[in-house]
Amino acid sequence: MSTAKRQSTVPAGPKPPVNFSSTVTIPKDAVLQGTHSITIQSETLIHPRARLDSNLGSILVGRRSIVQERAQIGVEPQNIDAAVPGGVSLGDYVVVEVNAVIEAGGTEIGDGSVVQVGSRIGSGAKIGKDCTIAARATVAPGTVLPDQTVVLSNGQQRADKRLADARKLSTLKQINVVRKMIRNDQDKFK
Amino acid sequence: MSRRQVKGDYIETETGNKVSRKANLLGTQNMVLGGKVVIQPEVMIRGDLVRTAPSSSSSGGTTAPSTTAIQTGRYCFFSKGVVLRPPGRRYKGQFSHMPMRIGHHVFIGQDTVVQAATIGDHVRIGKNCVIGEFAIIKECVEVLDGAVVPPNMVIPNYSIVAGQPARVVGEVPEGGGPEENGLRGLYSTVGNNPQNPDM
Repeated sequence: MSTAKRQSTVPAGPKPPVNFSSTVTIPKDAVLQGTHSITIQSETLIHPRARLDSNLGSILVGRRSIVQERAQIGVEPQNIDAAVPGGVSLGDYVVVEVNAVIEAGGTEIGDGSVVQVGSRIGSGAKIGKDCTIAARATVAPGTVLPDQTVVLSNGQQRADKRLADARKLSTLKQINVVRKMIRNDQDKFK
Repeated sequence: MSRRQVKGDYIETETGNKVSRKANLLGTQNMVLGGKVVIQPEVMIRGDLVRTAPSSSSSGGTTAPSTTAIQTGRYCFFSKGVVLRPPGRRYKGQFSHMPMRIGHHVFIGQDTVVQAATIGDHVRIGKNCVIGEFAIIKECVEVLDGAVVPPNMVIPNYSIVAGQPARVVGEVPEGGGPEENGLRGLYSTVGNNPQNPDM
Protein backbone atom coordinates (compact mmCIF):
# COMPACT_ATOMS: atom_id res chain seq x y z
CA MET A 1 0.00 0.00 0.00
CA SER A 2 1.46 3.23 -1.04
CA THR A 3 0.20 6.67 -0.37
CA ALA A 4 -0.37 8.83 -3.37
CA LYS A 5 1.53 11.82 -2.12
CA ARG A 6 4.14 11.62 0.55
CA GLN A 7 3.33 13.81 3.51
CA SER A 8 6.37 15.58 4.82
CA THR A 9 4.77 16.52 8.09
CA VAL A 10 2.06 15.11 10.30
CA PRO A 11 -1.37 15.98 8.94
CA ALA A 12 -1.96 19.28 10.62
CA GLY A 13 -4.79 19.73 13.06
CA PRO A 14 -6.47 23.07 13.41
CA LYS A 15 -4.00 25.91 13.17
CA PRO A 16 -3.39 27.55 16.52
CA PRO A 17 -4.03 31.29 16.74
CA VAL A 18 -0.64 32.86 16.28
CA ASN A 19 0.69 36.26 17.12
CA PHE A 20 4.03 36.96 15.47
CA SER A 21 6.12 40.03 15.38
CA SER A 22 6.99 40.94 11.79
CA THR A 23 10.69 40.34 12.55
CA VAL A 24 10.24 36.72 13.62
CA THR A 25 12.01 34.14 11.46
CA ILE A 26 10.12 30.87 11.21
CA PRO A 27 10.54 28.33 8.40
CA LYS A 28 7.64 26.43 6.93
CA ASP A 29 8.73 23.11 8.37
CA ALA A 30 8.48 24.30 11.95
CA VAL A 31 5.49 22.63 13.60
CA LEU A 32 2.90 24.69 15.42
CA GLN A 33 -0.16 23.04 16.80
CA GLY A 34 -2.73 23.39 19.51
CA THR A 35 -5.73 25.41 20.43
CA HIS A 36 -4.35 28.17 22.63
CA SER A 37 -2.46 31.14 21.30
CA ILE A 38 1.20 31.06 20.32
CA THR A 39 2.98 34.38 20.66
CA ILE A 40 6.47 34.93 19.31
CA GLN A 41 8.08 38.30 19.93
CA SER A 42 10.43 40.29 17.79
CA GLU A 43 13.69 39.03 16.27
CA THR A 44 13.19 35.50 17.54
CA LEU A 45 14.49 32.65 15.41
CA ILE A 46 12.78 29.29 15.07
CA HIS A 47 14.69 26.48 13.36
CA PRO A 48 13.09 23.91 11.04
CA ARG A 49 11.31 21.01 12.77
CA ALA A 50 11.01 22.83 16.05
CA ARG A 51 7.70 21.97 17.63
CA LEU A 52 5.47 24.34 19.56
CA ASP A 53 2.34 22.79 20.98
CA SER A 54 -0.32 24.93 22.63
CA ASN A 55 -2.86 22.20 23.35
CA LEU A 56 -2.47 22.60 27.09
CA GLY A 57 -1.97 26.34 27.32
CA SER A 58 -0.68 29.37 25.51
CA ILE A 59 2.94 29.61 24.44
CA LEU A 60 4.96 32.79 24.74
CA VAL A 61 8.44 33.11 23.27
CA GLY A 62 10.19 36.35 24.15
CA ARG A 63 12.36 38.63 22.07
CA ARG A 64 15.65 37.55 20.47
CA SER A 65 15.30 33.94 21.45
CA ILE A 66 16.34 30.85 19.51
CA VAL A 67 14.43 27.59 19.31
CA GLN A 68 16.53 24.97 17.55
CA GLU A 69 15.46 21.99 15.47
CA ARG A 70 13.51 19.22 17.18
CA ALA A 71 13.07 21.21 20.36
CA GLN A 72 9.61 20.62 21.74
CA ILE A 73 7.84 23.33 23.67
CA GLY A 74 4.57 22.76 25.46
CA VAL A 75 4.48 18.97 25.40
CA GLU A 76 2.14 17.01 27.60
CA PRO A 77 3.73 16.38 31.03
CA GLN A 78 5.07 12.88 31.65
CA ASN A 79 3.36 12.71 35.02
CA ILE A 80 -0.11 13.83 34.09
CA ASP A 81 -1.48 13.58 37.65
CA ALA A 82 0.86 16.23 39.03
CA ALA A 83 0.34 18.49 36.07
CA VAL A 84 -1.26 21.87 36.43
CA PRO A 85 -3.02 23.67 33.63
CA GLY A 86 -1.12 26.34 31.78
CA GLY A 87 1.31 26.84 28.96
CA VAL A 88 4.92 27.81 28.60
CA SER A 89 6.51 31.22 28.83
CA LEU A 90 10.04 31.86 27.58
CA GLY A 91 11.75 35.17 28.32
CA ASP A 92 14.04 37.20 26.08
CA TYR A 93 17.38 35.85 24.81
CA VAL A 94 16.41 32.29 25.68
CA VAL A 95 18.10 29.52 23.68
CA VAL A 96 16.36 26.15 23.47
CA GLU A 97 18.75 23.71 21.82
CA VAL A 98 18.26 20.55 19.74
CA ASN A 99 15.95 17.87 21.18
CA ALA A 100 15.19 19.82 24.35
CA VAL A 101 11.74 19.25 25.80
CA ILE A 102 9.79 21.82 27.79
CA GLU A 103 6.60 20.50 29.33
CA ALA A 104 3.47 22.61 29.53
CA GLY A 105 1.81 23.63 32.78
CA GLY A 106 2.79 27.17 33.72
CA THR A 107 6.45 26.53 32.94
CA GLU A 108 8.56 29.68 32.91
CA ILE A 109 12.08 30.25 31.68
CA GLY A 110 13.76 33.53 32.56
CA ASP A 111 15.64 35.92 30.28
CA GLY A 112 19.00 34.78 28.96
CA SER A 113 18.68 31.14 30.01
CA VAL A 114 19.99 28.32 27.85
CA VAL A 115 18.32 24.92 27.69
CA GLN A 116 20.96 22.69 26.14
CA VAL A 117 20.75 19.66 23.86
CA GLY A 118 18.35 16.94 24.92
CA SER A 119 17.41 18.30 28.33
CA ARG A 120 13.93 18.15 29.79
CA ILE A 121 12.15 20.82 31.81
CA GLY A 122 9.28 19.49 33.90
CA SER A 123 5.82 20.92 34.03
CA GLY A 124 5.46 24.07 36.13
CA ALA A 125 9.19 24.57 36.65
CA LYS A 126 10.22 28.20 37.12
CA ILE A 127 13.72 28.84 35.86
CA GLY A 128 15.35 32.15 36.72
CA LYS A 129 17.35 34.48 34.53
CA ASP A 130 20.65 33.52 32.90
CA CYS A 131 20.44 29.88 33.94
CA THR A 132 22.07 27.02 32.06
CA ILE A 133 20.44 23.63 31.85
CA ALA A 134 23.26 21.41 30.62
CA ALA A 135 22.95 18.76 27.93
CA ARG A 136 20.65 15.86 28.82
CA ALA A 137 19.88 17.29 32.26
CA THR A 138 16.40 17.01 33.72
CA VAL A 139 14.61 19.64 35.78
CA ALA A 140 11.88 18.04 37.86
CA PRO A 141 8.32 19.35 37.57
CA GLY A 142 7.63 22.34 39.81
CA THR A 143 11.29 23.12 40.52
CA VAL A 144 12.08 26.78 41.17
CA LEU A 145 15.62 27.76 40.19
CA PRO A 146 17.16 31.08 41.26
CA ASP A 147 18.85 33.34 38.71
CA GLN A 148 22.20 32.24 37.27
CA THR A 149 21.92 28.58 38.25
CA VAL A 150 23.67 25.85 36.31
CA VAL A 151 22.05 22.43 36.32
CA LEU A 152 24.55 19.77 35.27
CA SER A 153 23.78 16.56 33.46
CA ASN A 154 24.02 14.56 36.68
CA GLY A 155 21.51 16.82 38.44
CA GLN A 156 24.00 18.84 40.49
CA GLN A 157 23.39 22.56 40.71
CA ARG A 158 25.71 25.46 41.21
CA ALA A 159 25.73 29.20 40.78
CA ASP A 160 27.16 30.80 37.66
CA LYS A 161 29.18 33.89 38.51
CA ARG A 162 30.01 34.86 34.95
CA LEU A 163 28.52 37.92 33.42
CA ALA A 164 25.61 37.06 31.21
CA ASP A 165 25.87 40.02 28.87
CA ALA A 166 28.45 38.37 26.64
CA ARG A 167 26.18 35.43 26.11
CA LYS A 168 23.27 37.66 25.14
CA LEU A 169 25.47 39.44 22.64
CA SER A 170 26.49 36.08 21.20
CA THR A 171 22.88 35.04 20.89
CA LEU A 172 22.04 38.25 19.10
CA LYS A 173 24.93 37.89 16.67
CA GLN A 174 23.95 34.31 16.02
CA ILE A 175 20.37 35.33 15.26
CA ASN A 176 21.50 38.01 12.87
CA VAL A 177 23.56 35.53 10.86
CA VAL A 178 21.32 32.48 10.94
CA ARG A 179 18.11 34.31 10.09
CA LYS A 180 19.55 34.90 6.63
CA MET A 181 20.02 31.15 6.15
CA ILE A 182 16.52 30.12 7.08
CA ARG A 183 13.73 30.84 4.69
CA ASN A 184 11.11 32.76 6.55
CA ASP A 185 7.57 31.62 6.00
CA GLN A 186 5.42 33.34 8.57
CA ASP A 187 2.38 33.42 6.35
CA LYS A 188 1.93 29.68 6.44
CA PHE A 189 1.01 29.85 10.10
CA LYS A 190 -1.42 32.74 9.89
CA MET B 1 11.69 -10.94 3.45
CA SER B 2 8.78 -8.65 2.96
CA ARG B 3 8.42 -6.84 -0.30
CA ARG B 4 9.34 -3.19 -0.03
CA GLN B 5 7.46 -0.34 -1.59
CA VAL B 6 7.91 -0.07 -5.30
CA LYS B 7 9.58 3.29 -5.05
CA GLY B 8 11.95 2.19 -2.30
CA ASP B 9 12.49 3.65 1.11
CA TYR B 10 15.97 4.82 0.23
CA ILE B 11 17.47 6.97 -2.44
CA GLU B 12 20.65 5.42 -3.72
CA THR B 13 23.14 7.73 -5.33
CA GLU B 14 25.76 6.91 -7.92
CA THR B 15 28.47 6.74 -5.32
CA GLY B 16 26.43 4.25 -3.32
CA ASN B 17 25.09 6.54 -0.65
CA LYS B 18 21.79 5.30 0.74
CA VAL B 19 19.66 8.14 1.97
CA SER B 20 16.30 7.44 3.55
CA ARG B 21 13.39 9.33 2.07
CA LYS B 22 12.33 10.09 5.61
CA ALA B 23 15.55 11.88 6.50
CA ASN B 24 15.54 15.69 6.79
CA LEU B 25 18.46 17.04 4.87
CA LEU B 26 18.72 20.79 4.68
CA GLY B 27 21.14 22.51 2.37
CA THR B 28 22.09 19.40 0.42
CA GLN B 29 24.21 21.52 -1.90
CA ASN B 30 26.59 22.09 1.00
CA MET B 31 27.05 18.43 1.90
CA VAL B 32 29.67 16.05 0.63
CA LEU B 33 28.95 12.39 1.26
CA GLY B 34 31.99 10.22 0.69
CA GLY B 35 30.22 7.25 -0.88
CA LYS B 36 28.45 4.23 0.61
CA VAL B 37 27.12 6.41 3.39
CA VAL B 38 23.88 5.28 5.03
CA ILE B 39 21.45 7.91 6.27
CA GLN B 40 18.55 6.34 8.13
CA PRO B 41 15.05 7.78 8.63
CA GLU B 42 14.62 10.87 10.82
CA VAL B 43 18.23 11.86 10.54
CA MET B 44 18.58 15.61 10.35
CA ILE B 45 21.60 17.19 8.71
CA ARG B 46 21.94 20.96 8.74
CA GLY B 47 23.90 21.64 5.60
CA ASP B 48 22.23 25.04 5.42
CA LEU B 49 24.29 26.35 8.31
CA VAL B 50 27.29 27.33 6.23
CA ARG B 51 30.34 29.27 7.14
CA THR B 52 29.77 32.98 6.79
CA ALA B 53 33.04 34.30 8.11
CA PRO B 54 35.25 35.47 5.27
CA SER B 55 37.08 32.21 4.68
CA SER B 56 40.40 33.37 6.12
CA SER B 57 40.66 35.69 3.16
CA SER B 58 41.65 38.62 5.34
CA SER B 59 44.65 36.67 6.60
CA GLY B 60 45.52 35.11 3.26
CA GLY B 61 45.60 31.31 3.21
CA THR B 62 43.12 29.12 1.43
CA THR B 63 41.89 30.37 -1.88
CA ALA B 64 38.84 28.23 -2.55
CA PRO B 65 35.81 29.74 -0.82
CA SER B 66 34.56 26.46 0.51
CA THR B 67 30.88 26.40 1.23
CA THR B 68 30.88 22.80 2.35
CA ALA B 69 29.13 22.65 5.69
CA ILE B 70 29.36 18.90 6.27
CA GLN B 71 31.78 16.45 4.74
CA THR B 72 31.85 12.72 5.41
CA GLY B 73 34.08 9.86 4.37
CA ARG B 74 33.20 6.42 3.04
CA TYR B 75 31.00 3.90 4.85
CA CYS B 76 29.58 6.27 7.43
CA PHE B 77 26.41 5.11 9.11
CA PHE B 78 23.99 7.59 10.67
CA SER B 79 21.30 5.82 12.68
CA LYS B 80 17.73 6.91 13.17
CA GLY B 81 17.23 10.29 14.79
CA VAL B 82 20.80 11.52 14.50
CA VAL B 83 21.26 15.28 14.20
CA LEU B 84 24.39 16.62 12.51
CA ARG B 85 24.81 20.33 12.96
CA PRO B 86 27.86 22.41 12.10
CA PRO B 87 29.18 24.16 15.20
CA GLY B 88 29.02 27.91 15.43
CA ARG B 89 30.94 30.52 17.36
CA ARG B 90 32.02 34.11 17.34
CA TYR B 91 35.01 34.60 15.18
CA LYS B 92 36.62 38.02 14.89
CA GLY B 93 33.56 39.58 16.41
CA GLN B 94 31.14 37.92 14.02
CA PHE B 95 29.15 34.78 14.44
CA SER B 96 29.85 32.03 11.97
CA HIS B 97 29.28 28.34 11.60
CA MET B 98 32.29 26.20 10.86
CA PRO B 99 32.39 23.15 8.62
CA MET B 100 32.12 19.71 10.18
CA ARG B 101 34.36 16.95 8.88
CA ILE B 102 33.67 13.28 9.43
CA GLY B 103 36.16 10.55 8.48
CA HIS B 104 35.70 7.10 6.96
CA HIS B 105 33.89 4.22 8.66
CA VAL B 106 32.17 6.34 11.30
CA PHE B 107 29.15 4.92 13.05
CA ILE B 108 26.75 7.20 14.94
CA GLY B 109 24.05 5.65 17.11
CA GLN B 110 20.40 6.53 17.50
CA ASP B 111 19.30 10.00 18.59
CA THR B 112 22.82 11.30 19.01
CA VAL B 113 23.37 15.01 18.41
CA VAL B 114 26.72 15.86 16.87
CA GLN B 115 28.14 19.37 16.76
CA ALA B 116 31.77 18.35 16.55
CA ALA B 117 34.36 20.08 14.42
CA THR B 118 36.13 16.90 13.34
CA ILE B 119 35.51 13.20 13.74
CA GLY B 120 38.33 10.89 12.66
CA ASP B 121 38.23 7.55 10.86
CA HIS B 122 36.80 4.40 12.45
CA VAL B 123 35.05 6.27 15.25
CA ARG B 124 32.07 4.61 16.84
CA ILE B 125 29.59 6.79 18.72
CA GLY B 126 26.82 5.13 20.73
CA LYS B 127 23.21 6.11 21.04
CA ASN B 128 21.80 9.11 22.91
CA CYS B 129 25.14 10.87 22.99
CA VAL B 130 25.72 14.58 22.73
CA ILE B 131 28.92 15.68 21.04
CA GLY B 132 29.50 19.30 22.01
CA GLU B 133 30.42 22.13 19.72
CA PHE B 134 33.94 22.10 18.30
CA ALA B 135 34.82 18.79 19.89
CA ILE B 136 37.59 16.99 18.02
CA ILE B 137 37.44 13.22 18.02
CA LYS B 138 40.56 11.58 16.65
CA GLU B 139 40.77 8.17 15.00
CA CYS B 140 39.46 4.83 16.29
CA VAL B 141 37.70 6.37 19.28
CA GLU B 142 34.73 4.71 20.87
CA VAL B 143 32.11 6.90 22.54
CA LEU B 144 29.82 4.81 24.72
CA ASP B 145 26.04 5.20 24.89
CA GLY B 146 24.71 8.30 26.62
CA ALA B 147 28.02 10.13 26.81
CA VAL B 148 28.00 13.92 26.79
CA VAL B 149 31.21 15.15 25.21
CA PRO B 150 31.68 18.75 26.32
CA PRO B 151 32.33 21.52 23.82
CA ASN B 152 35.93 21.91 22.60
CA MET B 153 37.05 18.56 24.03
CA VAL B 154 39.81 16.80 22.11
CA ILE B 155 39.67 13.02 22.34
CA PRO B 156 42.97 11.28 21.46
CA ASN B 157 43.32 8.22 19.20
CA TYR B 158 42.18 4.82 20.48
CA SER B 159 40.32 6.21 23.52
CA ILE B 160 37.08 4.93 24.97
CA VAL B 161 35.04 7.74 26.47
CA ALA B 162 31.88 7.67 28.55
CA GLY B 163 29.93 9.63 31.12
CA GLN B 164 28.35 13.03 31.62
CA PRO B 165 30.61 14.91 31.04
CA ALA B 166 32.56 12.42 28.99
CA ARG B 167 35.96 11.29 30.21
CA VAL B 168 38.47 8.85 28.82
CA VAL B 169 37.71 5.56 30.57
CA GLY B 170 39.90 3.20 28.63
CA GLU B 171 41.77 2.36 25.51
CA VAL B 172 40.63 0.45 22.46
CA PRO B 173 42.69 -2.78 22.52
CA GLU B 174 45.47 -2.89 19.97
CA GLY B 175 44.62 -4.98 16.95
CA GLY B 176 41.07 -5.33 18.18
CA GLY B 177 40.05 -4.96 14.63
CA PRO B 178 38.52 -1.54 14.28
CA GLU B 179 39.68 -1.82 10.67
CA GLU B 180 36.24 -2.56 9.35
CA ASN B 181 34.08 -2.41 12.49
CA GLY B 182 31.38 -4.12 10.53
CA LEU B 183 30.21 -1.05 8.65
CA ARG B 184 30.63 -2.65 5.26
CA GLY B 185 28.36 -5.46 6.39
CA LEU B 186 25.95 -3.02 7.93
CA TYR B 187 25.88 -1.05 4.71
CA SER B 188 24.66 -4.01 2.73
CA THR B 189 21.82 -4.70 5.17
CA VAL B 190 19.96 -1.47 4.49
CA GLY B 191 18.60 0.11 1.38
CA ASN B 192 16.08 -0.99 -1.18
CA ASN B 193 17.47 -4.48 -1.65
CA PRO B 194 18.81 -5.35 1.77
CA GLN B 195 21.09 -8.35 1.91
CA ASN B 196 20.78 -10.93 4.58
CA PRO B 197 23.19 -9.89 7.36
CA ASP B 198 24.30 -13.51 7.79
CA MET B 199 25.72 -13.72 4.32
